[in-house]
Amino acid sequence: MTLVDAQDTSVFGSKAVGLGQAMRDELPVPPGVALAGPIVEAVAGGDERAIEQVVEWVRPLGGPLAVRSSAVDEDGAAASFAGQHMTLLNVPGSDEIASALSDIWWSANSDSAITYRQRVGLFTRPSVGVVVQVLVDPETAGVMFTQNPVTGADERVIEASWGLGEAVVAGRVIPDHFRVDRAGEVLERAPGRKSIAFRSLPDGGTVEQEIETELVERLCLEDDDLAELSRLADRCEQVYGPARDIEWAIADGTLYLLQCRAVTTLGP
Amino acid sequence: MSGASVAVLQRVPLFADLDESELERVASVFKPRRFAEGETVIQQGSGAAAFFVIDSGEATVFVDGHEQRVLKSGDYFGEMALIDAGTRTATVTAASELVCSGVTFWDFRPLIEENGVIGWKLLESLINIYRSERGK
Repeated sequence: MTLVDAQDTSVFGSKAVGLGQAMRDELPVPPGVALAGPIVEAVAGGDERAIEQVVEWVRPLGGPLAVRSSAVDEDGAAASFAGQHMTLLNVPGSDEIASALSDIWWSANSDSAITYRQRVGLFTRPSVGVVVQVLVDPETAGVMFTQNPVTGADERVIEASWGLGEAVVAGRVIPDHFRVDRAGEVLERAPGRKSIAFRSLPDGGTVEQEIETELVERLCLEDDDLAELSRLADRCEQVYGPARDIEWAIADGTLYLLQCRAVTTLGP
Repeated sequence: MSGASVAVLQRVPLFADLDESELERVASVFKPRRFAEGETVIQQGSGAAAFFVIDSGEATVFVDGHEQRVLKSGDYFGEMALIDAGTRTATVTAASELVCSGVTFWDFRPLIEENGVIGWKLLESLINIYRSERGK
């Protein structure tokens, strides 16, 4: 079903339902579809009718696509499956969706994912929902905490880098670091060392590119961008509640919300 | 068509005594999985998620970093840790592009519980491993 209609976390997982809620609240989420665990498993098993159905749902999105897991017990308060379940960026289109779903289903049923499940006391059969969205091709992307996750201070913390947000999420760069108060005033601007960026390839997948020397330590966000991010933080807290961990991207001057979840640990 | 190939499963000693309909039932719970050459399929010491049968390609088994043997089409691996929910006793890597059919713990256990013939074959295979280890 379309992402905007995903409302049941026991069917679609918290990521899909969170994004669906964001769309219903008119937050700037790229269009997409939510796939329930059973149909993802059927596609992974090679069921041709399931594959045809999913291709039919995904085809109107065109491409390229971002395909992300939304397991039913993923990103709970006590456990974060970040890094365990696969995200595939720049999947060319609906013809490649079955292979992408198989890879994601197996990532949730891999030895490392099962080891993690045993460690956090979740040794249960995973139900792997999936979110398929139009992939934005950002100039800048990153993460934002609506409350400082280290000090607990009531301020926005933003980390940003060039290109796709995976450079920040995977810790591949030292991102630019910003702190913004609730009134939108910038408290800190600290340039990072952004030596590489992930970019989409024309035929699918992503590539790691070196960044031009003069951009490595140049701030990748202007004050106008920070003000818009701060407004997005306000809206996300209104919709979801306090202390949110947000993934965002700016493409062609438009700010997109890619993910919004509860912060799993808050200091001090 | 979904699940594993019945023709491949017929070559697996574990399933050799099953009739056509039993093989189709077994095949239906398997899912295809591809590995690139050099990719680690299972890692010694890790928790165990799935049991695999090789459809095509070759895989190499390592224990404590030492190569033990090469597995080919029809060979299977990964069943022991699924039985006792223990850790993997070997590392298996893809020696070429490798196509497997895999079944997860959650489908493997009911499969064994529901089918005494497969369960007995599995016991025989484990006893063979036990005897060969004792003979070392």
